Amino acid sequence: MENNNKGLNRRKFLGSTALAGIGILGASAILSGCKNEKDAKALGLPPILKGAPKGKKLRAGLVGAGNRGTGAAMNFISSGPDLHIVAIADVFQDKIEDCRQRFAKLKMDIPAENCFDGFDGYKKLMALPDVDIVILATPPQFRPEHFKEAVLQNKHVFMEKPVAVDPVGIRSIIASGKKAEAIGLNVVTGTQRRHQQDYIETYQQVANGAIGKPVSARAFWNQNHVWFRTREEGWDDMTYMIRNWNNFCWLCGDHILDTHVHNIDIINWFLGRHPESAIGYGGRARRLTGDQYDFFSIDFDYGDGVFSHSMCRQIDNCANGTGEFIMGTEGYTNCINTIWNLDGSVKWEFKYPKDENGNETNKLKIPPYVQEHMHLVYAIRTGEYVNQAEMTANSTLTAIMARTAAYTGKKITWEEIFKSDMDLGPKEIKFGPVDMQFEVPIPGTAHKA
Amino acid sequence: MIITGLILGLVITLAGNMAVNYTSTDEYCISCHVHPVADQSWKLSSHHDNKPGVIIHCTECHLPPKGHGMLFAKAKHGIKDIYGFYFKDSTEYNLKAKRKLDMAKKFVYPESCTKCHQNLFPKTLTTEGENAHLSFLSSKTEVSCLNCHLDVGHFDPNNKHEHNLNFGNSVVPNTNIYTEPTAVTTFASFTEKIPGTSVSFDMVAVPDGQFLIGSPKNEPLRKPDEGPAHPVKISRFFMAKIEVSWDEYLEFFRATSSQGRKEIEENENVDAISGPTPPWGAPDQGWGKGTRPAITMSWRAANVYCKWLSKVTGKKYRLPTEAEWEYAARGGTKTPYFFEGSPKKFTSEGIFKKIFGTDTTTIQAFVVYKENSLSQTMEPGSVKSNPFGLKNMLGNVSEFCSDYYSPKGYSGNKKMAVDPKGPKKGQEHVIRGGSFKSDAKDVRSAARDFTKSRAWLITDPQMPKSVWWYSDCSDIGFRVVCEVDENIK
Repeated sequence: MENNNKGLNRRKFLGSTALAGIGILGASAILSGCKNEKDAKALGLPPILKGAPKGKKLRAGLVGAGNRGTGAAMNFISSGPDLHIVAIADVFQDKIEDCRQRFAKLKMDIPAENCFDGFDGYKKLMALPDVDIVILATPPQFRPEHFKEAVLQNKHVFMEKPVAVDPVGIRSIIASGKKAEAIGLNVVTGTQRRHQQDYIETYQQVANGAIGKPVSARAFWNQNHVWFRTREEGWDDMTYMIRNWNNFCWLCGDHILDTHVHNIDIINWFLGRHPESAIGYGGRARRLTGDQYDFFSIDFDYGDGVFSHSMCRQIDNCANGTGEFIMGTEGYTNCINTIWNLDGSVKWEFKYPKDENGNETNKLKIPPYVQEHMHLVYAIRTGEYVNQAEMTANSTLTAIMARTAAYTGKKITWEEIFKSDMDLGPKEIKFGPVDMQFEVPIPGTAHKA
Repeated sequence: MIITGLILGLVITLAGNMAVNYTSTDEYCISCHVHPVADQSWKLSSHHDNKPGVIIHCTECHLPPKGHGMLFAKAKHGIKDIYGFYFKDSTEYNLKAKRKLDMAKKFVYPESCTKCHQNLFPKTLTTEGENAHLSFLSSKTEVSCLNCHLDVGHFDPNNKHEHNLNFGNSVVPNTNIYTEPTAVTTFASFTEKIPGTSVSFDMVAVPDGQFLIGSPKNEPLRKPDEGPAHPVKISRFFMAKIEVSWDEYLEFFRATSSQGRKEIEENENVDAISGPTPPWGAPDQGWGKGTRPAITMSWRAANVYCKWLSKVTGKKYRLPTEAEWEYAARGGTKTPYFFEGSPKKFTSEGIFKKIFGTDTTTIQAFVVYKENSLSQTMEPGSVKSNPFGLKNMLGNVSEFCSDYYSPKGYSGNKKMAVDPKGPKKGQEHVIRGGSFKSDAKDVRSAARDFTKSRAWLITDPQMPKSVWWYSDCSDIGFRVVCEVDENIK
């Protein structure tokens, strides 16, 4: 295992020089005892790898062959030796073909008999005995059902965030996650900041007291408008909605789940808990299709006087930016790479690797999208178990609580959202006409879920 | 010398160990626990009769595992067993009551459950099971395995671990169906008939008047929330002679029950009253229905019942206010009970009472409470009425009032208020009258209590929990009052 975190290195250095006489082991024990500093393992941090270790051949099936799914599958095969994509499932045949062609260019042929379209394609894929891992990258509406089946079929899982769109789905994810744990199936989720070395090391600083006690936070994801599809002739209701899934709440969960969940997840991680309640605003000013909002502003109450302001927007020509911020009693941090003292001076900074020419850079050599797959393969091949299902379910539920607070205008507590029977999907998922109303939520009234 | 000591010590240890083991065998347990029911029901249970053929023995559930206070628990139960063996008659044990959750928790250990059942999320777990176990994980201190899995060690054919879809649906054919409600033209007691059913019930005319609500400071065993006692004026009303019975409540259930979960609608459109969802298990606790009081419905469900009853009879039925309730319960008396006697005399609490007992003939004639109830509800015929002609105002089951409960008692109340309705805001509602579980001191006319929404739903494994049925309160019911039409002289 490679473990180049700074705490350990520094200790080893001190141990072998100043305290050489006592012996390295004793010294580091004494030192860590004195400083009471927690290392990566004690903090439950994932390993930072240069590549997944060698081991038995691993074959993955991709469920959901859109852009992110195909991207995730590419990330998977590039994360280490002897990793293969052997099957694809998607509701649309054209998506399967596009994806196959991209893999064909890499001389990785996916046999047609291992490609399954339609709404039950995932079941056929997961029934293949040769598939060890499934990559779940469909719209999040379908994730709980897919994850459940994957566990039933004994597959290791990589799944994209968000992991569900409603509390019924969230509870299913948590329960399936626990079932996976009971039988030793590894689960990694696509909240890739948790696999990003700069975030990880900043977290380690904060967890060891670099900013004192956190007292407030903010998180934001403000960007231009995102993609949408207008309806084409010949598309039935279901076809249209799934092709335009990013704009329907029952499929996407709204952008506070789809993208802002990353930032919310960071705040939950750094504060070490989920919020107790949320109050917030939101609205729809510029969206053209679907039923979602295009801006949210949420006040999360984390208890003990700690609040986090969350905002997200998808409107052109506005102030954009994404990121997180945490204020502490002794300093503050942007969570990604810098810690400041209260007077504004820099206390600590993450050192990014230099490029081939020795120039400073501001990014990691291995993208976190690949790092997360390295971790999954590492876990399977070494037995160092990983399961992020509940963690990401909790962050997704945090976003659902916020969304409901904005949609309804009410204060929503964790207790009530966790136990809610909100289930956004239609009763039956099939192609053809769909009997659903798509009223834009109005604060002060119940969300017609 | 040392060696002898060591050997002796070893022998004692071994003998002690053997004794512990021997006295933990099924045969040894059954040799004293002579009631054959325990043995038979165990053999029929899933801990004896199961697919893999594994038998779980008495002490594997009824003692904690080693390292969790096993020897201490063994000594404690042993002493109780010896006492019971020599001084009690096992045929007099109320085994039904001992199998209820609160008793079962005293001699089954959760550590023993989880010693074997280590995986709460096996692959085969259903969605309902997932929700239940997630709920358990979030309230471990309040819920134990037994809350849901009560009969796994001793089979109980009546304890169904499922939604009781047939509950209350068996209609007894009856030709005597009322087509009209009773017309009330004078202020006098009458018998209400529920149209479309064969059910009727007695309503007592309670005259207007004035009384002191609460208990005086010198009333024995009173609580601070009963004071300060102050005068209140009450307008006349009709009150049901008995607590709403299963016969009455089931008509409502059959007429309005909804298969799916529905929120209680707060609108005034009475044509579309949606009633309770199917309950979990047996809400009547297997004690029987008929004229026994209906129990375990939520406060909100009781209100929907009143709304339904008003709709079908064309009158104004509702829950009593707390003041109306106490006025009716006192029936003109100012004493702790509407009959003679002191709470100090009747209470069974305190060491002397436990040893020497006390004369409770009077209270037993009027009240179903801890000492005479056999831990369950009784039919109204078992007690005498109060001065107004009302039965079971004290005891049998606690009754919902319409008021919110305030622990500050009556300190903020106006003197000589007319028909006070309690605090404007609150969390929990007043319940009155004590129940079959209560001690004599808690069935006094002035004794107050309140609903405990969280605790009474703690076992309910649904997400969200039922709005219609309490899972953890078997001694709550209600009584209706009817407003007097202003045209009646």
